[in-house]
Amino acid sequence: MPHFSNSVKLKYVKLGYQYLVNHILTLTLIPVMAGVLIEVLRLGPAEIVNLWNSLHFDLVQILCSCFFIIFVATVYFMSKPRSIYLVDYACYKPPVTCRVPFATFMEHSRLNLSNNPKSVEFQMRILERSGLGEETCLPPAIHYIPPTPTMEAARGEAEIVIFSAMDSLFKKTGLKPKDIDILIVNCSLFSPTPSLSAMVINKYKLRSNIKSFNLSGMGCSAGLISIDLARDLLQVHPNSNAVVVSTEIITPNYYQGKERAMLLPNCLFRMGGAAILLSNRRSERRRAKYRLVHVVRTHKGADDKAYRCVFEEEDKEGNVGISLSKDLMAIAGEALKSNITTIGPLVLPASEQLLFLLTLIGRKIFNPKWKPYIPDFKQAFEHFCIHAGGRAVIDELQKNLQLSAEHVEASRMTLHRFGNTSSSSLWYEMSYIEAKGRMKKGDRVWQIAFGSGFKCNSAVWKCNRTIKTPKDGPWADCIHRYPVHIPEVVKL
Amino acid sequence: MVSGSLECPVRGEMLSSVVPAKATGGNKDLELTSMDLAMKLHYIKGAYFFQPEAAQGLSIHDLKEPMFQCLELYYAASGRIRRSESGRPFIKCNDGGVRIVEAQCDKSVDEWLAMARNNDHMLAHDQVLGPDLGFSPLVFVQFTRFKCGGVSVGLSWAHVLGDAFSASNFLNLWGQIMAGKQVPLQPNSPAHNISQFPISISRKPFSLKKVDPVGDYWLTPNNSKMVTHSFRITAKQLHYYITTYCIHDPNKISDFEIILAMIWQSLSKAREDSGPNIVTICSNNSADKMAMLPSNGMTLSTVEADFCVSKVEIGELAKLIAEKRMDENGLIGELIKGDEVRSDFIVYGANLTFVNLEGMNVYGIEMKGLKPVCVNYMMNGVGEEGTVVVLPSNEKDGGNNGKMVTITLPQHLLLKLNNRLQIDWNIVI
Repeated sequence: MPHFSNSVKLKYVKLGYQYLVNHILTLTLIPVMAGVLIEVLRLGPAEIVNLWNSLHFDLVQILCSCFFIIFVATVYFMSKPRSIYLVDYACYKPPVTCRVPFATFMEHSRLNLSNNPKSVEFQMRILERSGLGEETCLPPAIHYIPPTPTMEAARGEAEIVIFSAMDSLFKKTGLKPKDIDILIVNCSLFSPTPSLSAMVINKYKLRSNIKSFNLSGMGCSAGLISIDLARDLLQVHPNSNAVVVSTEIITPNYYQGKERAMLLPNCLFRMGGAAILLSNRRSERRRAKYRLVHVVRTHKGADDKAYRCVFEEEDKEGNVGISLSKDLMAIAGEALKSNITTIGPLVLPASEQLLFLLTLIGRKIFNPKWKPYIPDFKQAFEHFCIHAGGRAVIDELQKNLQLSAEHVEASRMTLHRFGNTSSSSLWYEMSYIEAKGRMKKGDRVWQIAFGSGFKCNSAVWKCNRTIKTPKDGPWADCIHRYPVHIPEVVKL
Repeated sequence: MVSGSLECPVRGEMLSSVVPAKATGGNKDLELTSMDLAMKLHYIKGAYFFQPEAAQGLSIHDLKEPMFQCLELYYAASGRIRRSESGRPFIKCNDGGVRIVEAQCDKSVDEWLAMARNNDHMLAHDQVLGPDLGFSPLVFVQFTRFKCGGVSVGLSWAHVLGDAFSASNFLNLWGQIMAGKQVPLQPNSPAHNISQFPISISRKPFSLKKVDPVGDYWLTPNNSKMVTHSFRITAKQLHYYITTYCIHDPNKISDFEIILAMIWQSLSKAREDSGPNIVTICSNNSADKMAMLPSNGMTLSTVEADFCVSKVEIGELAKLIAEKRMDENGLIGELIKGDEVRSDFIVYGANLTFVNLEGMNVYGIEMKGLKPVCVNYMMNGVGEEGTVVVLPSNEKDGGNNGKMVTITLPQHLLLKLNNRLQIDWNIVI
């Protein structure tokens, strides 16, 4: 079996190379220190004292050196960015009264679009291949035939989702509403006046000097944009708590027309929301779950095709919907490449970076036909949370980053159980990994989200303490059933 | 089925769906028996009236929420009809759900109950399976709010799913969950509709009539307009009739049999002796009140009169009914198999049909601890010979031995029958 032994040999060579390059400092330092130690032992203590005296240090020089060292240390610690801790987060679990099985969704579709059997056929095909399960949820207004999306119903949904998630967060962290210094709410498609952040402030009677922000229109990657904003604010304001609420309100955005490009979101988007507590207080260091390491944002909006690929517009009959262009996957791939080019040097171990550099040089100088080296991100991260935008997105990323089925399991199972909950899906995925008991201290997590614009945003977290399997949370009653096998096509 | 009045007191219908709380899983498919297939063109409608005290403060969400748990246990009601490769229909338990209808009525509950009772069918959605057979709900539940704050719960139930006892069980289960009571899960007993009587002669059953193929639109083809009318008979009246007319053996004749005899004779007189000479009786003696799976567990039998029905003593007629019934379940089972599973039949209205729902626990449902003030059941999609449904009625003095009788006949015949019933038996229509 020559292939087998070759691949085994290759594996060991690779391992050896990685160990060598990643620990190069240690490997060079040890022989040097050993040399010094041997020399010291050889010289003997009397010789060392002689050596010290011959250097002619006087008090002033010693003091100046000490002050210099202290000064450098102080400057270093003052200018180090504050550590941002994720104390805890809570995900919204919709009640069973919002459940939408496949059969019901298709039946409503047939009744609502009774004059357009081709559109109904299209929706059925999408649903069969969507990767969604039978337990995803839509808000009450959408259960009517035809749907009744009033503004009151939209506010009602916002209140239920956001307040539930916040109540859950308060309970988990013991946070008092008066202790919230920064509040950021992101919801892309529902933006009433007063804003959703004002709604939260009103409900929980938050302080009058709170710094509140409401981000709308920024798509499914807005969750990480909010985290980035919170991080920047927490650099400026010491000793503060920031609450980030990520959600998407479905009620006003259910497309009621028949254009196929606009029917796709109806099949995929579902109810969901998450509330996250971030802090820069040193007292939270012990109990925080994660520490924020990097946030990398990439915007491809300068390119016209990327700008138009997820576009909200009216169809010929005046129904408003979100039109998805056919090049969506290609543009997503481009955005991803851009993002990982930036994040690569920040997170990849030296061995991967060196290989990438060598291949790059080789392609430029020797032979452009060499295959570009795709760095192995599995070495940089233990867990991956890929925004559950749809089955195609997860498949594409799994292929591009060469991830195994277990790495994308959190994303696939979140898509199955909760559907595409937009900006909060990353948090359901984190919750899945914790519920499976896989999150250990020191693990690094990579959250990747795509959104309209076209944007690709990444966040890197480091797990601060091993997380025990939670008894509550959105997966508590069903985690034992997961992972499930999701067939390519579900027969309706 | 349209009533005589021009304006429709029930309006503002909003449709939504309710599904089982948990995924039924495994797509459990339910086979349909011969009896199920025989009944597939018929529909049951039930109306439960609650006074304002019972419905006060209950929002539509409070009424819908227990239905989710109810469907988790009674998952068959959420299924849809599919056809197997041989063309035989079956129920696919795919969590499609039941349809909920929200409506308003301009009258109060008392006003409605005081009117001539031929509009109760408006309180339950007019249901037909098809033309989109695989996507038609088997059950509709209509919540109608009355002007006074009272509520009526209108059930539309496809007979192919189960008989009226199953329908009533389903709603009782919903009521129990709404009241927060613990529901014991009973193992499902198999359907008992295979006849115990040996089949001596092999013939076609009289209770069944084959109709022209209806394809995927399951509605009884009818030439006449069918209308419904309901009235009550008190226990005192029934006692009077039995003791007066069945002098010879008053203990052997049941309430149902005397009502049957009275209506049979009056209808014969109304039709001027042109029939009917044979009636179908539909009764259920072994109804399992706790079953979580619906079934068509009725016994269909026929009674044939070889004398002139309108001229005989009513006691004689009642005796004939009590003694000369012929059970036809076995014959029906023999007929509907093989190729005949794809054919279409009617039972209700093939002959004048009497449906005995005396044993039904219709007053077992409670809203906020209060029983309904009135319950009515009727059959929809029946043939032209007509149907009479007899169910228990509650009386003002709290007694439960009165009967509610609902008759469905072609319009011209019903008027004549009503007149005859008043003349012959002093029944207040």
